[in-house]
Amino acid sequence: MSRRTLQSEITGKVWKIEAAPGDRIGEDSTILILESMKMEIPILAPIDCTLIELLVEEGEAVKEGQAVAIIEE
Amino acid sequence: MPFENEREEFERRKAVASAMGSPARLAERKAKGILNARERVALLFDAGSFTELGQLAVSIRPEMRAKSPADGVISGFGRIDGRMCGANVSDFTTLGSSSAEIHGKKQHHIRTVCEKNGLPVINLMECAGGRIPDIMGAAGIGRAGEGAVYSRRRVTPAIAAVLGLTYGGGAFTCINSDITIMRKGAVLAVSSPNVTAVAISEDMDPEALGGWRHHSETTGLIDLLADTDEEALALLKKVLAYLPDHHGEREPDAGIPPGAEEAVTRMLDLLPESRAQVYDMRKLIAAILDPGSFLCLKERFAKVAVTGLGRLRGRTVGIIATNPMFKGGALDTDACDKITSFIVLCDSFNIPLIFLADTPGFLVGAESEKRRLPGKIMTFMAALELSSVPKIALVLRKSYGQAYLNMAGGKADTTAAWFTGDISFMDPAVAVNVVFAAKREDNPQGFDDLLRQVSAATTAYSLAEPFMAHAVIDPRGTRDYLAAMLEVHARRLTNGVGEHRLAVWPPAY
Repeated sequence: MSRRTLQSEITGKVWKIEAAPGDRIGEDSTILILESMKMEIPILAPIDCTLIELLVEEGEAVKEGQAVAIIEE
Repeated sequence: MPFENEREEFERRKAVASAMGSPARLAERKAKGILNARERVALLFDAGSFTELGQLAVSIRPEMRAKSPADGVISGFGRIDGRMCGANVSDFTTLGSSSAEIHGKKQHHIRTVCEKNGLPVINLMECAGGRIPDIMGAAGIGRAGEGAVYSRRRVTPAIAAVLGLTYGGGAFTCINSDITIMRKGAVLAVSSPNVTAVAISEDMDPEALGGWRHHSETTGLIDLLADTDEEALALLKKVLAYLPDHHGEREPDAGIPPGAEEAVTRMLDLLPESRAQVYDMRKLIAAILDPGSFLCLKERFAKVAVTGLGRLRGRTVGIIATNPMFKGGALDTDACDKITSFIVLCDSFNIPLIFLADTPGFLVGAESEKRRLPGKIMTFMAALELSSVPKIALVLRKSYGQAYLNMAGGKADTTAAWFTGDISFMDPAVAVNVVFAAKREDNPQGFDDLLRQVSAATTAYSLAEPFMAHAVIDPRGTRDYLAAMLEVHARRLTNGVGEHRLAVWPPAY
């Protein structure tokens, strides 16, 4: 079981969180959605995984490369 | 039978060369499921078609002659799916397929013959680096450089596969190839972890130094990934089928597969109606091209840009697209490098380019400027302007600012927009902010009036009225439109062959 930190690929704002810690998430499912450049940009699960921790809240500003969630395979 | 002694000697020498390195090393590879050089040759070429040259060549050092069958590289010519190609295939079991005089001379011969006669070059690489002690001392490194030619003019396509530990010369051969495939578990780096550890006191895991994740996600130096040797060679054959034998012709016509016109009819279901929503551009590309024909290159690197080879009604096309799924489709510096190198590839081998734009622009900000974004944009633009293959620009949804021009808007042979097109110098909502210093929170009604006013002039029709978009099309008509335009812009005067002004551009960015 390896843990991975997911990062934001882009500077923006957390618009909506769609999963909660403990949730089982399928590959390519949305964990949270950022708003940047007038677009809704999802952060997706790269693999089938469990969401361990969310590191941001709705409305929070995030920078490119900032850790936003921890998942476990 | 006459000539008994001569025949015996001939067969003995052939058998020694065919046996490659030590049986122990060959067995070790077999146990790991890794093919040896001669198995790779047998799998790559049509049965019985391979003619080996330099089979009886050995190390230039007299004391190493018996230990250097073929001097560590299988070289020759053979047919791949019926097409004659030259190949250099590293034999790692012989002195680590390390770079040395005869080893290099053989490879150079194959490359030179291919260039002179218009044949593709295949490089299946593994390499321990420069051979010790051959390369040692002033004369050692001096000799290594004397016969070497690193630069290419992209006269014939070179396809490489990284199939093991590949350092030094072997790594450079891969970089100098037009398309490079990497098998997972292989490593590509300038020097081995041992050398790195001593030279700069840095202990490195080979995977971190030059493994598949590193090259597919961070450096973008490889184009395709394979899980096994067999898969890598199958991919290599697939890649070759998109390319011509040389720059003086078009690629072979693959024919139109059954059901090719079906997926495009569902295009309106693939595109979200809300402009704020993202989607995966690769699904739209797959629906536009002949079914199963899209081969995405550098797929895990700079995902904002999608570059790949595909077919439209049987003929190869190069696709350059932005993908809203990643960074909203905003082009960053890595994306510029990725697109530039792909334009060079397609322009060198007469592959028409189709640009599909849905981008809010270039990714601006301090980080981008630090990474030399203005320089990258202009290198991308220079490649675009200097390329002479047919180019079609299509705006799918938004295309703003300089990115509209870089995605070939107005620069291509013909530019069109889907009826969903939205073209401007920046996002209309941002424009209202910037131009009128208006914010929605201060005066919602006033802001929306201004937004309507700005947006009215950014539609596909606004681009069509001054004949800047030559057509506004229904997304479901994309294949028909592209096929018609490719037929029109087919460069008949030169049989579809371009001017290749980018042929001497750098191998990597």
